[in-house]
Amino acid sequence: MSCANSSGGLGAMARTAAAEPARRRPLPDWGAAMVLLAPMALFFGVSVLYPLADTVRLSFHELRGLGGASWVGLGNYAALAQDPVFLATLWRTLAFTLSVTAISVGIGWTVGLLCAFAPRQTAPFRLMIFATFGISEAVSGFIWIGIFRPDSSGLLNGLLGLAGLGELAQPWLGSPGTAMAALIAAASWSAVGLPLLLTFAAVQTIPKSVLEAAYIDGAKPLATMWHIMMPLSLPGVRVAVFINLVTALRAFDIIFVLTGGGPARSTETVGFFMYRVSMTEFNLGYGAATTVVLLLAVMAVSLPAVIQRTKGAR
Amino acid sequence: MPVTPPKWIIALVGAIGLLWIVPLIGVALTSLQTPEAIARGWWNLGNADFTLDAWTRVWTEYPIAASLWSSVKLTAIATVLTMLTAPAAAYAFHYLRFPLRRGTLILVINAFVLPQQVVIIPLFQLWRDMGLIGNVAAVIVPYVGLSYAWAVFLVKSFLEDFPKELIEAARIDGCGPVGTFFRIVLPNLVSPISACAILQFLWCWNSLLLPMLFLREDVPLTVMLARIAGQYDPNVNMQSAAAIVTAFVPLCVFILFQKQFAAGNQVSGGGKE
Repeated sequence: MSCANSSGGLGAMARTAAAEPARRRPLPDWGAAMVLLAPMALFFGVSVLYPLADTVRLSFHELRGLGGASWVGLGNYAALAQDPVFLATLWRTLAFTLSVTAISVGIGWTVGLLCAFAPRQTAPFRLMIFATFGISEAVSGFIWIGIFRPDSSGLLNGLLGLAGLGELAQPWLGSPGTAMAALIAAASWSAVGLPLLLTFAAVQTIPKSVLEAAYIDGAKPLATMWHIMMPLSLPGVRVAVFINLVTALRAFDIIFVLTGGGPARSTETVGFFMYRVSMTEFNLGYGAATTVVLLLAVMAVSLPAVIQRTKGAR
Repeated sequence: MPVTPPKWIIALVGAIGLLWIVPLIGVALTSLQTPEAIARGWWNLGNADFTLDAWTRVWTEYPIAASLWSSVKLTAIATVLTMLTAPAAAYAFHYLRFPLRRGTLILVINAFVLPQQVVIIPLFQLWRDMGLIGNVAAVIVPYVGLSYAWAVFLVKSFLEDFPKELIEAARIDGCGPVGTFFRIVLPNLVSPISACAILQFLWCWNSLLLPMLFLREDVPLTVMLARIAGQYDPNVNMQSAAAIVTAFVPLCVFILFQKQFAAGNQVSGGGKE
């Protein structure tokens, strides 16, 4: 196979190469690597390496708005450790992340396993659940405002009224006691798609003979699910757990649109706290320290994936 | 496996599926009713009066057309830049030998741990000092830079199974490494590059935080929707129409290409953040 005639496109260049084969000495590996990596290096450097280094640097400084930065060492971190608002935010982030992951993976996993018994008949319903995953967090937040609207135009209050439970109707997003539950419901709704997809993909790879053997041995669907499909779908579910944990941990968009962090900061997680402190109060050093805490949390959750990727990097 | 699946399974999955799209049906019906009808509840279809009023007025009441154009522009440029630069990088990492190769690769593919929040303070200051706030580049640069963690990983995983003989043959015929990439490898990378394009398209179109902070006017649809959304606004029908416009394109792309999306997600380890 020749270099010149094997290409699909780039005809002009290929023809030149055909006319003068090997006249120009090819670039050495490192030279070619520089050429091919340069564009990525530029974008990656500006939007990953520099921000990472600068956020860490800023977190050791006191910096407000346009003023100068002054070195405070671990001062910001010490202040965070004593800030009752931040500590409450940490616990809230943990509760939000674990709840959304447990609910979304629980439902997605169960539905994915059930679908394996009737792949064709359930295809449209799978798509209905999965489609919500293609909807942005911003739109999901807007959609759920409609469900929790305080007056009778809100679906939840409306349904409670129809069920004769009108006295339970309340401003769900307006009271600190219920806003977090509302946020968790909205975030879980949009997060179910991925575990469903990955579970279903995993059970599709189970050999038919295994499931048939279970059926012939008289195993009921629930027993087949519990003893065969659940363990065999674990690899897919693990990926879904990881992605949903990370997504919930760094959530911002859905919180911003649905509750704006309120009422009374009752729905602020670390990802939102960071935004409020640095972008609305312009307390940039403190905000940077919060960001580093968020980064460390995401890294801790991602550690298995990082190890796997690093080992596989050949 | 039973030949006829148990009925209760289909019924249960069906019920959950229908429950899941109730919010979507709600938005669609809300956009088609008058504010008075919506105040009684969009589900009261008995005395609902349907109207396209919101759909005709939304274009003039909110800057939908400008935002749509902004979404298209930002997403298209960022997607094309990722499609061009990530495969070149993946090829270099996979086939070429150069100093610090493995260290750089490990750094790039593990950058997925970075939450978007990490970039906003440094880039906000940088763009402000460079006068780039409000410029499309302020958003496109981080869109592209943050895509490499999964885009390079995805293309490189594909290259693991790429026939080595093709590369060697090209080399023997005197094709340099850059030429080999453009003439031999790139034409065969259609499937991973399209997977990258779909993921990047969805991620860019749906993101809110970066354009909200780095753009002033000409904001994309997500930012416009976030600005007009509110619990107590009476124009819910027009807001719903705007939400449908915002969600329509990515939802179609998502449904059409779910298979590639699934494959991409399995190796990339990065969802819709």
